[in-house]
This record gives sequence, structure tokens and C-alpha cells, in this order.
Amino acid sequence: MELTISNLSKTYTNGRPLLGGPTESVQALKGVSLRIPRGMFGLLGPNGAGKSTLMRILATLQEPDSGNARLGELDVINQKEEVRKTLGYLPQEFGVYPKASAEELLDYFAIMKGIISRKARREVVESLLRQTNLWEVRRQKLGGYSGGMRQRFGVAVALLGNPRLLIVDEPTAGLDPAERVRFLNLLSELGENSVVILSTHIVEDVSELCTNMAIINKGEILLEAQPLRAVEALKGKIWRKLIQKQSLPQLEQEHQLISTKLLSGRTLVHVYSPEDPGQGFEAVAPDLEDVYFSTMGGFYGSGQRKQEQVL
Amino acid sequence: MRLWTIFRYEFGYQLRLPWPWLFGVVLIILSFLMTRDGSLSEVLYADFFLNSPFAVVKTTVFGSLIWLMMAAAIAGDAAARDRATGMHPLSYTTPVGRGAYLGGRFLAALLLNALLLLAVQLGILLGVYLPGVDAALIGPFRPAAFLSAYAIISLPNAVAATAIQFALASGSGRAMAGYFGSFLLVFMGFFVASVLLYGQGLGTLADPIGIRIIVEDIAHLWTTAEKNWRLLQLEGMLLQNRLFWLGIGGIALAGTYLSFRFAHPREGGWGWRKGKKQALAPHSQNPERNALSIPQVPRHFGLALQARQTLLIARTSFNALAFSWGEFALLGMLPLMTLPVLLDQMESRGVPLVPTTINIIYELTGSLSDELSRWVIVPFLIVYFAGELVWREREARMGEIAHSMPGSDWAPLLGKFLGLALMLLLFLCLQSGAGMLAQTLLGYREYEPSLYLKIMLGIQFLDYLLFALLALVLHVVVDQKYIGHLVAVIAFVFIAMASLFGIEHNLLIWGASSGWSYTDMRGFGPSLEPWFWFKGYWLAWALLLAVGAKLLWVRGRKNSLLLRLRQAPGRFRGATAYAGMVAAGAVLLLGGWIFYTTNVRNEYLTTSEKKARQAAYEQRYGRFAASAQPRLSAARLQVAIYPDERRAEIRGTYRLLNSSPEPIDSIHVATAGAVETRALAFDRPASQLLADEQLHYRIYRLETPLQPGDSLQLHFQLLKKANGFSESGIDPSLAANGTYFTNSWLPAIGYQSGRELLNAPDRRAHGLPPRPIIASLYDEKARERRGGGIAFEAVVSTSAEQVAVAPGALLGSWTKGGRRFFHYRTDAPLGGEWAFFSARYAVQEALWTNPDRSGQTITIRLYHQPGRTAQLERMLESIHASLTYYTRHFGPYPYSFLTFVERPGRGTGMHADASMITYAEGFSLWQPMGDEETPDVPFAVVAHELAHQWTVPYAPVEGAPVMSESLAWYYAMKVVETAKGEAHFRRFLSWMHQPYRKEIRRGEPLLRGLDPYMSYRRGPFALYALSEYIGEAQVNRALRRLLEKYQAPAAPLATTLDLYAGLQAETPDSLQYLLHDLFEVNTHWELKVEQATASPTPEGNWQVRLEVQARKLVFDSAGVEREVPMMDWVDLALFASQKGGAAQAPLYRQKHRIHTGRQTLTLSLPEQPARAGLDPYNLLIDPKREDNVQPVVPEQAQAPAAAKRLSQQKKE
Repeated sequence: MELTISNLSKTYTNGRPLLGGPTESVQALKGVSLRIPRGMFGLLGPNGAGKSTLMRILATLQEPDSGNARLGELDVINQKEEVRKTLGYLPQEFGVYPKASAEELLDYFAIMKGIISRKARREVVESLLRQTNLWEVRRQKLGGYSGGMRQRFGVAVALLGNPRLLIVDEPTAGLDPAERVRFLNLLSELGENSVVILSTHIVEDVSELCTNMAIINKGEILLEAQPLRAVEALKGKIWRKLIQKQSLPQLEQEHQLISTKLLSGRTLVHVYSPEDPGQGFEAVAPDLEDVYFSTMGGFYGSGQRKQEQVL
Repeated sequence: MRLWTIFRYEFGYQLRLPWPWLFGVVLIILSFLMTRDGSLSEVLYADFFLNSPFAVVKTTVFGSLIWLMMAAAIAGDAAARDRATGMHPLSYTTPVGRGAYLGGRFLAALLLNALLLLAVQLGILLGVYLPGVDAALIGPFRPAAFLSAYAIISLPNAVAATAIQFALASGSGRAMAGYFGSFLLVFMGFFVASVLLYGQGLGTLADPIGIRIIVEDIAHLWTTAEKNWRLLQLEGMLLQNRLFWLGIGGIALAGTYLSFRFAHPREGGWGWRKGKKQALAPHSQNPERNALSIPQVPRHFGLALQARQTLLIARTSFNALAFSWGEFALLGMLPLMTLPVLLDQMESRGVPLVPTTINIIYELTGSLSDELSRWVIVPFLIVYFAGELVWREREARMGEIAHSMPGSDWAPLLGKFLGLALMLLLFLCLQSGAGMLAQTLLGYREYEPSLYLKIMLGIQFLDYLLFALLALVLHVVVDQKYIGHLVAVIAFVFIAMASLFGIEHNLLIWGASSGWSYTDMRGFGPSLEPWFWFKGYWLAWALLLAVGAKLLWVRGRKNSLLLRLRQAPGRFRGATAYAGMVAAGAVLLLGGWIFYTTNVRNEYLTTSEKKARQAAYEQRYGRFAASAQPRLSAARLQVAIYPDERRAEIRGTYRLLNSSPEPIDSIHVATAGAVETRALAFDRPASQLLADEQLHYRIYRLETPLQPGDSLQLHFQLLKKANGFSESGIDPSLAANGTYFTNSWLPAIGYQSGRELLNAPDRRAHGLPPRPIIASLYDEKARERRGGGIAFEAVVSTSAEQVAVAPGALLGSWTKGGRRFFHYRTDAPLGGEWAFFSARYAVQEALWTNPDRSGQTITIRLYHQPGRTAQLERMLESIHASLTYYTRHFGPYPYSFLTFVERPGRGTGMHADASMITYAEGFSLWQPMGDEETPDVPFAVVAHELAHQWTVPYAPVEGAPVMSESLAWYYAMKVVETAKGEAHFRRFLSWMHQPYRKEIRRGEPLLRGLDPYMSYRRGPFALYALSEYIGEAQVNRALRRLLEKYQAPAAPLATTLDLYAGLQAETPDSLQYLLHDLFEVNTHWELKVEQATASPTPEGNWQVRLEVQARKLVFDSAGVEREVPMMDWVDLALFASQKGGAAQAPLYRQKHRIHTGRQTLTLSLPEQPARAGLDPYNLLIDPKREDNVQPVVPEQAQAPAAAKRLSQQKKE
């Protein structure tokens, strides 16, 4: 079973419809097509790229203007109710009832997801709380949970009912490094039988977890690839150099600059170049970050799709 | 200036939001409508300018009330936005002081609110000056009227309410808490001030909105003239009230300032210690990475899940509300406050009412359409709760998770509705509990749980449910919390004041029905059948709306109404479509059936159509008003009542006598609209000239004119039977038990001026000439006698187990064909009103024998509900005392019988017709405790009604109520004095002196008195004072002569001028001034004992020195006050002890001449007096009676002792 997205488009109209104020539209998705197989899929993109819109459409919470998405036999846009039966969704931002305990609220959602039998529910709730490491704090009020605990609780809710489609929207934003590791560990253990979409703007999330990925920017898919292969494909094309900050503008004109980084007061630049650019650049083994920035910079991915179909 | 920056930013920010503008528009529209429509001024029954200061103030008050209910978001948002949006870490860490931060926000909210309230004035101005208003209704433009209303009512309201809303929102960090502030204020105004503190005199002070001051006090206190010109002044009680509420506002602000901290808000309320302790996750670093294994468990979808989800959401919704302030208000505060309210309300004018279950329930229930009911706060809370529930997930930012769950949208919609319903159910159970507790505390044990169940958990619950569903649906459809709130409040305003919008039919007003009624005697009578139809119709609508809400239910985000509407058709399938179709079908079917029965089978007229008919009646037939008609001189009736079928058949014969000097050739018959007149025939050849079935006017032409002194007979046959039900329900006159109707169903002769349009603006609107409410006192034409006594005979039949009653002596009763027949006939002519009754009555019979040894006897029959006997003995006692006193002083009682009949109804009043006195059930439940303190008011009421049997035939001119009610009350006072003794009489007098509306009614003098204060209080007081000044015998003689003179058939009708002349003849010259002051002008006195001292004399006597102060004032008819010189005889009395009040026999009582100003009186007494009083019996009207009596201080004792004595007196 896989998730096939074809030609999804969504435009927001901003303004005050009630008072008839001026309106402007933002195209959040421009004909997005993707094929998402079983396993962990990373959707990588900067803030505002349209990730959350795509996630919400897949989570049945928003209507696209056009296009469709199919989960196996199911039409995600028109068979929402069927999709919801098999959906787990962890939104980018969510709250909890601060006065409820994790156990209560998870139990509540278990019923909502159709686990009606009390015994089955108890079993599932206990299992999920244990595996998200919340068992010992299950009786405490959710209002007192830290960000990471809350996030893990969210995963527990999303996992209720063994979803075949799990959508996790920017789950690691705002977590401390230890929590982040713990959280990613949890995600990595998700069954192999589901489609898991992880949307993030953090490259490491994808490189550490995902077998497939896509890069999205300004509502368009720039790259659809397997991380390892994408990195492989860039081998020998990424060069780096430590420069003074003031020489950056000149460098930018002469080379296909993909990223800059501060390193002990100087600037470390990565450029894309199929052959050695000379001038003191040294070859560097590319990583997924280079893939991301090359793609964002337009040197790789959709622009060159025809030549380098990486699948 | 940081404050200025914050203020400017906040003000600008809110101005960019939609709702301040919406609030403004709504306020303009509603105040426009209130100005245009006089429906709120019905209580005021007067005709004043649209832009008179009073009208402006009144609309301002109601505008403030609506503003209060809907606009709390402004202060709430200003106070809580930072915390609600999570922006507080940014704003709290700026270098701004608390004062500037809070002050800027508060002032911005205040300014916005103040500007919003200007919209009310704007609405009024538009209402007055936009086209469409009769120019005669508009007075000169006075800016001061608008400015003073705004400055005195609106501005202080804005300050106090904004401060309280701001304080609560700031304290809780939730903008919606502002609405709790509004709730508290409405609660104060409608519940605490109007009900609880009313008796204590604090009500006016505690009313935050001005409802009590304007609508209840000033509306009754000011004369029409005053309402037109007098400006609201900031003085007296109003000033105190405004200062009090400004003070409360100030306290709220100070509290906010002092408790506010720029700190992270602690976690929720009381449990914060527990909450603060962060849950620590155990850092179990288990290295083995085992794949997540989630147990595979069976899942269920479909109906089972939906039911389970619905119940789950219902439970959590209920719990969520159960721990909110709103729940505390609804389930805690209201039932708690209900108890004292019930205890307080179980009395009528100071005399306890037996707390039967229905009496309690009437206090506990209120129709949604009663905007002045104290239960207006319940719908207000429902709106709030509905908003909280609809927004619950999304406010906790859990919307996206919750919305991605499987299951249909029915589950959350129904679940939330059930949660709300559960809470309302609990509320009504608690209210019923409070009711039973009140009954227990009052010593009443006959709880009727089934009645609580039927009315509280049936009727009232359904009313609340219908409104709750509407509120829920509106919140779903609008999908913006504040605007949803606004729309729901508007919906409530629409329901409560639908007539403002020109909508009257119950089929068009959400949840409306023709109402229900219940009395112990009649039960629900015929009121339930139409109620069920209407509620069924509205339930069908409710289902339809629920389907609509389901279709427009918000799932996900960024779903504009437009988008949801576009998607709705696609969602209309399956069970939803089925439910929608069933609901629409039921709406059409039930609505169609109701429309058929109310508008086709029965006639339905809107208010304006009714007025148009009244106008047409006068325009078409008014010209016959003066044409000579025969008068009714005898009526013979056969009335067959079928209680179970709610049917009555009446056959009758009138004898019509030409008592005019000229022959009459045509007879005008006014038939009744309420019945079907089947046949109408004369005993001589006549032809029908006109039969206007719409206006119920018929003219018959006699072939041979009726000569003066000659008479003819009119035979008629009537049928009264409910034909389905009409828009207003079924006439309850015919009931399975407790049938009661009058001769208003029978044909009347001649043009009926009583059917004319009365209200002056209505008359103007229909082009009718002005018609005074009543003819001038000096109108000689009105004194002409029309009609005379009627010889009456009736055979009334009813079902076998009931007793039928009609006026007259019971000549016989028999049973035939399973029905009982009763034959009544009068032995002396009767007046023009007769009533008929049928119920399962028990009869108490008694015989009164005239003690004057004339041998006259009167058969007294008391028809009462079986079992309700507690009042009978008192009634008989009063009847005997009254008959004895009245026959001795005022002349003989003309009949050999006297009938008292109980009829269904809650009132405690009685109604007197010739030889027959009727009373509603309430009277038999109106029972003084029999202690030493409370006077026996029901005894006096019986005496008063009996006194009406001696009423002087009076003309329908100004002063008519004085002729009828004042005289009858004076008679009753005398009976109480004679029968119950001096001490009891004094207690009764102080009961009479209790505030009756307001003490001093400015305006017309007694001779032209019309209003209840004049006729029921001022008049009898004047007669009683006179009897104390010139003697009881003199006053009684004048009254007896008056009666004798005007009882004669040939005499004209009497007016107050004849009464006045009669009293003048009995009054010595030295007291003519008093008569003038009491009757001819509107006088009051201000009398006061300033200081009273006594010292022993060597002879063993006591020398008493009194410092007294006196003033005399006269009001003209517009209410302008003027002081007049005084040199009047005033009672001066000294009493031996502090205790005993006016009931104690005085040591000394003498009338002294008292002049204007301060004066010293010295007296010598054999005993030491303890109290001194100037006019201690309140014979003269004095607005401040309590300073008439003061303790007497021994001469040598100085000020401290006097103070001590005073304080002792207070303790007593």
C-alpha cells in the first residue's frame, strides 16, 4: 500500500471576508505530486514551504483546490471518513486539556478511535504509555508536562488504532537535543507496515530516519529521492572553503553557492560545482544538508530532474 | 508616555477587529427599533413624546442592558489577549509599568465601550428623526435629554461594567471571563436588586443597570407631563446608585492593579502547587531498540462507535462545564439565591401565601419571551455555555487531533448538546430541590413531585433545550466566538422582543407556543394541547437546524462559511439526509396543521389588524353611539355547560325596554366575537338591515317602532366550542373542572364604546379624533344614566358531578338525563355583569340575621374547592361584621342572598358584582399567620368587596375609581376597626401605609384621581382622616345620604363633586380648609418632632416641651411642587411607654394649631410621657412618617442620655 498524491493545489485568500477588505492570495501548494511508499518518508522544506498545508490535506482537515490523493484504494479527499479510521495525525502545534491526565485523555481518544471494549482499551493505553515512556507519569496532569513529554503523548494518540497512515508534522521543533533523540528513536520504531510522513525543516531528522524523502519549497516539490542515493549523486560536486566574510559577495557571483556557515569567526562556504573550482576550494563528502541546499539553490533536483532522475 | 502608546495601540487594534463595529450596528438597530415601537412603554400606559427625556432614558437603559450582554468581549479581550495568545512573555518583559500597561488597556476598552454606548443615542435619534414618524409624537429637540441620559446612565454603566469585566478577564487570563462580569451585573440587577433587596429599600441602590430606577420607580412616579419635560437629575437615590457603582468599578480596578504581576501565570487556580510540579520523565535509556509493538485490538465503527462517542463527548462536555465559573453560577449561585427569593416571594403584600407547589413553580419558571423576568440570566448562560462547548477542542489547541478522529460529525454535535442538556437538567433538578426546601422551611409538606416533574423537567426543560440547541447551532454556523455570542444574544433579544421586529405569530418565533397555565382547580386545562403542537413543530425545526449544523460543522481549519456552504450538499447523505428530510417533512406537516387550525379554522389577527378592526368599528358605527336604544331590563337564560367537551350552549331571552322619550325603529345588537351566535330573533316582526360578522355589529329594523315605555323580547342561541386552537391557544373559560365565564359572551344592545381604540398614538395613526381615557369630571353628559337594574333568571346545567353557579338565589336543583340543573333568580335588580361557574364545588352555607331585629335574613353561600376550607371561617366572620356595619350605617342590603365563588387563578384579589363576589384560588391561599404582628388583610379585603354592594352609582368620569374603590376601602377600614378592635386596626393602618407603588403620587388631586394609589390609598386615608377630624358619624351620614340620593332610578350618576359637596355639608367652617387640602388639591405635609423634653413640676405633674417643625406643600397636576402657608390643626399625642407603636392608648391626644416652620409647644401632664408624636396616626399625608414620633427626654438629662435612649429605641 502506498500514498499517491497527484497534482494537489491549494491557494489561500487572505483578507477580511466579513468586512470585504482587500484580499491577496498565496499559493501554498502548486500541483504537488508524490508517491510515498511504506516506511518513513521525510518531507523537508523551509518554514512556509507548504508542508503543513500538505499534511493537513492528507490528514483530511483541509480541502485542496484541485488534485487528489489516494491511500491504497482510498480517496483521501473524498473518502475522509474511511481514511480517518486508519489515520494517525500529530499536528505541528497542538495543546492538551491541562487538567486531564495522560491516561484519561488517551483513553478518551481510544474511544474516539473506535476502541470501545474497556479491556482492549486498557491494554492499548498501557502499551502506548509504556512505549512512549509516559507510564510512570500517566496520572499527572498534562498541564505539567514538558514539551518533549507532550510530544510523546501526541505520538501515543496518533498511534492509537494502528494507523496505516501516520502524519507527523514538525515534531522535533522546540525539543532539546536529548528529547529529540528520544523522540526520533520512538519514531524509528514505528512499524514497517505503515506510511509514515514526517514533515520537518531539520535535515538531520530526515537523514537519521527516512528511507525516502522529498524537498518542498514555495509549494513545489523540488526533489523526490532516497537520501542515501541523493547524497551519493552529489559525490564530487560539493566543494568548500573558509573565507573572510567580506569576500562573500564576490564569491557568490563567481560560484554556485549553496550554503554558508560561520566557523570560528570565519565563513565556511559550500559551493556546487561538477568539477573542481580551484581557488583553494577543497572537495568535501556531501551530506544530506548539501543535497537540501543544492536543491533549494536550484542546482539539483527538479531543475535537473531529467538528467538525474534519482529513484 | 507609555500609557498613551499602549492606549493608542489597543484602541487602534480593537477598531480593526470586526466585532466592535458589529456591536455598534446592533445597538443602533435595536435602539432604533425600541424607539419606534412603544412595546416597552406599555407599562407606562401614557402617551409621551418619542424624544421626551424619559423615553430617551428608558431606551438608554435597555440599550445598556443589551450592550452589557453582548459586548463584554471588548474589555475581556483588552485584559486577556496577551495571555490568551501566549504573547505575554513578550509584553510582560518590556520595561512598562503595571499602571501604564493596565491603564492603557483599560482606558482603551472604556473609550470603546463609551463610544459603543453612543450608538444607543444615535439609534434613538435616528428612530425619532428618520421619516416614518407622526410629527405629533415628536417634541422639541433637547440635546440635554440625550446628554443627561448618556452621562447619567450610560457612562457610569460603562465604567463599572468595563472595570468588572476587565478585572475578571485579567485575573483569569481568559477574555470570556468578561462575560462572567456581565452575568454578575445582570444577576445583581434582575435577581438581587429586583427581588431580594426590593423590600429592604436597597434594591434601587444595588441595581447596576438602572432597570429598577427607571422602569420600575420613575416610570410609576413621574406624571405624563413630567415624563415629557423633566430631565433626569443626578440626585437622591440615583446619585447614590451611580456613586455606588462607580465605587464598585474603582474597587475592581484597584484589585486588578494590586493583584496583577508581570509574571508567568500559575497553572490553573487552586491546584497550582500540584500542577507546578513538573512531571519528570523517567530517563530510561533502554539501549535495545525493539520495534514498537502496539497490541492489535478490535475496533468498532458505525453506529456503535457513534453512540459511544456521543456519550463520551456528552460526559466530557458536562465535566468541562462542571468545573467552570459558569457552572458555578448556574448550579451554585442560582439555586442558592433561589431559596431566599422563594421564601421572600411566598407572600402577597406582606401576607403569607401558602407555598403550594404550583405557587413555588411559578416563581421558578419563566418564559423565554419575558425579557424582564429574573430568569433572563439562564438563556444568557446557555449562550455562553454553547460557545464554550463548540470551541472547547479548538481553544485547547486540540482541534486538529480531535478533528482527525474517525466518526461522523453527529457525535460531537449531539454529544455537546447532550452535555449542555444534562447540565440544564441538573440545574432544574436543583431548582426543584430549592423549591421543596423552601416549602419545607415554610412548614408546608404537600410536595407534588409529579408537578415538579411535569413543569420543571418537562415544560421548562424543553424551553431551555430548544434555546440551547439554537445557541449551539448559531455558534457552529458563525464559527467566531465573539460574533457567535453576539448573534446568539441577538437571537435571544429577537425571541424576547419579537414584536419589536413586527413578528407575532408563534410559528415564527423560535420555541414559542401559546403558553401553558396550571392551577390546582383546573390543572393544565386546555393549555397543553396547543402547547404540544407548537413544541412538536419547534422540535422538528430543532432537528432541522441540527442537520444544518451537522452539514456546516467545522472540521479542520480555514473553513469559511461560504466554503462550508459549498461543501454542505455533498455531506447531505445517509442518515443525515434522512434526518433532514424527516425534519423538513415534520416542520411542513406540523407547521401546516398548526397554520390550518390557527389561521384557517380560527381567525388570526396581528396586533395592528386588531387595532385596525377597533378603528373600523368606531369609524363605521360610532355614529350610532348616540342613537336611542332600548335598555335591557330582564334576562332569562338557559345555560348548558358540558365541561368534558369544553362546550357551552346558551339560549336566552332579553326583555328590552324603551325608556327613552321617543319611539325606536331599529335595534343595534353587538354580538360577541368569542362565541358563535346561532340565532337571534325578536318577538315582533323585524328585518335584518345589517350583519357585520367581522365587527360583530347587527342592525334590525322593527316593522312597528317600539314606543316609549313599551318593551320587546329578543331570543338568542349561542354556542361556545373550541375549534381546534387559535394562535393564542384555547380559551380556558370552559374547562373540565373550573369553568368560568361572564356575560361578555352574550349579545349586548347598542354601540359599545368599550370596543373603541383607546391608546392615543393608535387613534392618531388611524385618523380617529383624540379620546380622553375618561371623560372630564365636569362632563354633564357622562352623568346620564344608561340602563338600569336587570331582573335575572337562569337555569344552568352541567355534568352530574359538578355544581353550576350563577347570580341569584338558588330556587332549586335537580338531576335529569345524567346532568344537574340549577335554577337561580334574583329578587332585586342586578347590575350589568353576571358570571357563570361550573366545577366540583363544595358549598358552605350560612345565614346572617340583621341584629336590628327587623328579621331580615341573608343566605350566604360560599362555593369553594373541596378541601380548601382554611379561609372560610375568616370570610364568614368578615361577611357578618360587614353586613352588620354597612346595613346599620349605609342602608339595607337589597338581596336575600349573597354568593361567594372560587374560580381558577393565582391572584389574591376578589371581584365584586351585585350579590356575587368571586375570588381566584390565590385568595384561599393567602393566610395571615394569626400572630400579634400581621393584620388580617384577607378579612379587610372581604369587607372591601362587600362594601361594593353599597357603591354609589357613579359616572364614568375622572375620579370614578375614587367613588368606587376609595369609598369601599373606607368602609372596610371601619369594619376592621369595629370588628377587630383598636390595636388590630392600628396594625392594619400601618399595613395600608406600606409603600404602595410610591407614597406621594404627584399630579391630579383626589377629586380627579384615577390611578391605584389615589383610589386604593389616598382616598380612604382622606376619608378616614376626615372621620377623625369631623367625626365618623358625620362622614358616614354624608356617605349614606349620597347613596340614598343617587340610588334613585331617576337620579343622574354621582361624581366625586357630589361626594365633596356632601362632605362639605357635614364639615364645620373651621375645617373646610382640610377638606380642600385633602380633595381639591394635592397636598402633603412635612411634620417632625425635633426635640421633646419633660421635667417634673413641684405639683407632681410633668411639664412637656416639644420642638416641632412643620411645612405644607402642594403639587400641581404637572407635578410642580409649591410651598403654601400652614396654620392647620394637627394631632399631638403623648404616650406612656416606648413600646406599642400607634396601637398604644395615648396619655394625651389633642389637636393643636401648627404653623409653618419651627415652633415650641408646652403641655402639662399628670404622668411622665415616653414618646411624643405630631400627627402620630398619620392622618395627614407625610412622605417621611418615621420622624413624626420621638422619645421624650427628661429635662435634666443631657444629650448623652438622649442619645442612649435613642439607641435603645433602635434596638427595640
